[in-house]
Amino acid sequence: MNKSVKNKISIKDNEKFFSSGIKDKIFVVIPAFNEEDKIVAVIRQVQKYFKNIVVIDDNSSDNTLDLSRATGALVLHHIINRGQGAALETGTKYALGKGADIIVHFDADGQFLPIEIAKIIEPILSGEFDIVTGTRFMDKESNMPIFKKYFIMPVARFIMRTLYKSELTDPQNGFRAFNRKVAKELNIENDGSAHCTEIIVKTLKNKWRYKEVSITVRYDNFGASIFSGKGRGAGGLKILKSLFYQKLIK
Amino acid sequence: MQQIIAIAIVLFFVFRLIGQKRKNSISQVEFYLWLFFWIFSALIVIFIKQVDLLVAYLGFSSTGIDVLLYLSIAVLFYLLFRIRIKMEKIEKDITTLVRENSIHDK
Repeated sequence: MNKSVKNKISIKDNEKFFSSGIKDKIFVVIPAFNEEDKIVAVIRQVQKYFKNIVVIDDNSSDNTLDLSRATGALVLHHIINRGQGAALETGTKYALGKGADIIVHFDADGQFLPIEIAKIIEPILSGEFDIVTGTRFMDKESNMPIFKKYFIMPVARFIMRTLYKSELTDPQNGFRAFNRKVAKELNIENDGSAHCTEIIVKTLKNKWRYKEVSITVRYDNFGASIFSGKGRGAGGLKILKSLFYQKLIK
Repeated sequence: MQQIIAIAIVLFFVFRLIGQKRKNSISQVEFYLWLFFWIFSALIVIFIKQVDLLVAYLGFSSTGIDVLLYLSIAVLFYLLFRIRIKMEKIEKDITTLVRENSIHDK
């Protein structure tokens, strides 16, 4: 891990969680679809900080399900692939049933750093905010591909600003945490990757207190493009299509 | 001759419709809806001259059959739209079922 990043994360934050017992009420929800290469490492890293890890296998065709179960994490299995948004809602609902006070959404592909969960939870623990989302644009820690950084993301921000009057800098960031109140009211309806937009829209509509926190994102050979993405409803155009139909069936 | 062919096509679909009803593949309401549609189509074919007059009276420059064709395309687009919306709703229901199943299986 980048040393400077590690130092920026308040170690005191972690100590606060581990000493207060609140960590028992923190659930990390990880949706996984065909992530056999990375899922075990991701779960093991998160397990260093939190014991309540809910993995939702979205009907992977590889060994993601068995590998996840072997780690001792709480593993749910979708018998049909439903998309990342659907998997997140399943995990959130399950965590609520288990008494979660804070729920963290975390990716299974190793893009995010588990140590930064402390950073994203802190504003909620302090009681000042209801929902905190990660952003890749407050500093330059991430090695985001140029096309994504200078084309896809500005377009996404423009759409969010124009349609929803959102000033958030990173509308498609999947690293977020929220409290129980938000989890109960959220009810993610968009099965695919458009859930990110849906969450922002609901945050603004419900006037939840929100904050963006700078996070690190590591890019390897993954990430959705305009046309493609992993799983149902992923990829830029599919996201726009989902948002359109979502509006119609309301 | 064209009218005879058109009527034959309509009759073919009416017989198929009756067959589907006998096999209970469609509901009573759906059966009558489609029966009405085909009878209506047959009446238009039989009284095509009167339809031409009606269309001209309404101010259209095309023939009756042209106007009906345009209208049918508009109706088809609308039905396609309705089906797409219905499919989205079914997808949502499937997600709900899959979710409940995964949580209860745990």
